[in-house]
Amino acid sequence: MKNSLEIKDLNISLVGNKNPLVQNLSFDVRKGKILGIVGESGSGKTLTCKAIIKLLNEKVFKVSGSIKLDGNNILTMSEKQSRAVIGKDISMIMQNPMTAFNPMMKIGQHIVETIKAHTELTKKQAYALGSSALEEMNLQRVAEIMNSYPHTLSGGMLQRVMIAIALMLEPSIIIADEATTALDVKNQAIILEQFQRMRDIGIGLLVVTHDFGVIAQVADDVLVMKAGEIIEQGSVYQIFYNPKTEYTKELLQSRFLVDEEQLCLV
Amino acid sequence: MLGYIRNRLFSLIIVLIGVTMLSFIFSNISSVDPAEALARRSMLSPTPKQIEEIRKEMGLNLPIYQQYLNWLWGALRGELGISLLTRNPVAADLAEKLPATFLIVGLASLWIIIITVPLSILSALKKGSFFDHTLRMITIFGISIPNFWLGFILLVAFAIMLPFFKVVDYGNFKSLILPSFTIAIPMAASSIRLLRATILANMNKDFVIYAKARGISNSRIIWQHILKNSLPPMITVFCQYLGYMIAGSAIVETVFSWPGIGSHLVNAIIGRDLPTINGCVLVIAVLFVFFNLLADLVNSMINPKMLNEKGEF
Ligand SMILES: Nc1ncnc2c1ncn2[C@@H]1O[C@H](COP(=O)(O)OP(=O)(O)OP(=O)(O)O)[C@@H](O)[C@H]1O
Ligand SMILES: [Mg+2]
Repeated sequence: MKNSLEIKDLNISLVGNKNPLVQNLSFDVRKGKILGIVGESGSGKTLTCKAIIKLLNEKVFKVSGSIKLDGNNILTMSEKQSRAVIGKDISMIMQNPMTAFNPMMKIGQHIVETIKAHTELTKKQAYALGSSALEEMNLQRVAEIMNSYPHTLSGGMLQRVMIAIALMLEPSIIIADEATTALDVKNQAIILEQFQRMRDIGIGLLVVTHDFGVIAQVADDVLVMKAGEIIEQGSVYQIFYNPKTEYTKELLQSRFLVDEEQLCLV
Repeated sequence: MLGYIRNRLFSLIIVLIGVTMLSFIFSNISSVDPAEALARRSMLSPTPKQIEEIRKEMGLNLPIYQQYLNWLWGALRGELGISLLTRNPVAADLAEKLPATFLIVGLASLWIIIITVPLSILSALKKGSFFDHTLRMITIFGISIPNFWLGFILLVAFAIMLPFFKVVDYGNFKSLILPSFTIAIPMAASSIRLLRATILANMNKDFVIYAKARGISNSRIIWQHILKNSLPPMITVFCQYLGYMIAGSAIVETVFSWPGIGSHLVNAIIGRDLPTINGCVLVIAVLFVFFNLLADLVNSMINPKMLNEKGEF
């Protein structure tokens, strides 16, 4: 299987501070596979995601190494080049759907501006493309949603809208940082189903979570991060049935202790 | 929404009654007797009897609440009495003076917008830069500087030392520039601080990060996302400023000998022209309260959260 997103020796530190926040990270996200990243709070998961889509402020963070999408290094691209890739070839699903949308703009405007930023489509064509993307997400009354302000929709609906936006430009990679954390169990299940659908259509997914239940359900491979480093990686079976480090065992155990019932359902 | 407007109108009426009552009471506390003042102005040496007649004619012999009710009844019918100084109906004088005030306040508003928007965006984008620091100093200076002093400085600088403008001038565009700038500068200074802070707060919002993650261009993020969300509080404040500028026009208009409602009020106070004082206070209070109401209405209109699903109120 072709490697789609290759990350090599990724280091992130604060400008003017030698201590790395993320250290020597190397991993691949393959097309048609879901890579899960787990790790305790502050282990650098979000920083890694933000580095991939160039969201880290250059004045604050020093990023080195290489992040290659289909062979092209995002880190060395000009701003214009990377902006053409980000949001099109790599898209992001944010953690908190309730705050991710501009409260002064309708859903349709968000969708149209995203399409227009990456394609030559007219407004009308963009609107049609966005509507069909929403329909694919099993959303009802699409025209109404397009014409709604974000605050009138529920968190679960907004998360599905966000997935529709992520999918509509046919990306090769989707990054989801704690994309299910803010949702209830029912909506969580809907989103996880969508993740599997994305995998089936050949998209590579990077799913960041602190929830082993999510990993168990959807991930093919798992990275375990601690203090900015990968301390263990392998297939989901290896990590669950044969964890090598104490840290992973502890993470698994705390998960079992807290959510035993939920895991049984999994 | 309609209920909201009704509530606001109701409180507006209470405010107006309160303000005019205070204006009535304060002008009666003063030691100068307006009947005597008027008598002395129209006659060389008025006898106590003549003063008493004038007092009666003006209704000043009635108890103060009676005077107030009479005045209120007149005001409701648009009659604000006769000015003691000009001998014209107060309402006619006000109608003549108001346009001059609107003119400088209107132009001042234009300056405020022209100055505030670009400078705030620039200093927020270049936060911590030399430009940002310099602008901060200037705005602090602009906020704390007293209006009359600023007016004098501008007059001395641009009408006396560098005679670009005339010291006393009225009736052409050039004559508007110094007074409108004097009014605009403190307002612009404080709105720059506010808009810059709002923009900075919005720059780190989730929706801006998400817009970047969708590959939206920087200029669109600034205008469509950050600025669009920073303007509602600005518009509210701006409408309030309109009220402040009209209420505060007295000082600047006096400095520039500008024949608007502000200097009219000052002249009336000096000349103990009670009907004019009360009329001016009423008009200024009405305008002040009106612009505050407008601020609320505009804000709720541009904030989608106040709209229902149909996009109506
Ligand atoms: N703007 C910043 N300035 C300084 N340090 C930062 C900044 N952002 C993150 N960090 C540090 O980087 C480290 C990694 O943070 P990160 O947000 O990537 O953790 P995370 O794994 O996503 O945690 P969580 O599970 O809580 O989301 C943390 O120790 C954090 O303190
Ligand atoms: Mg995080």
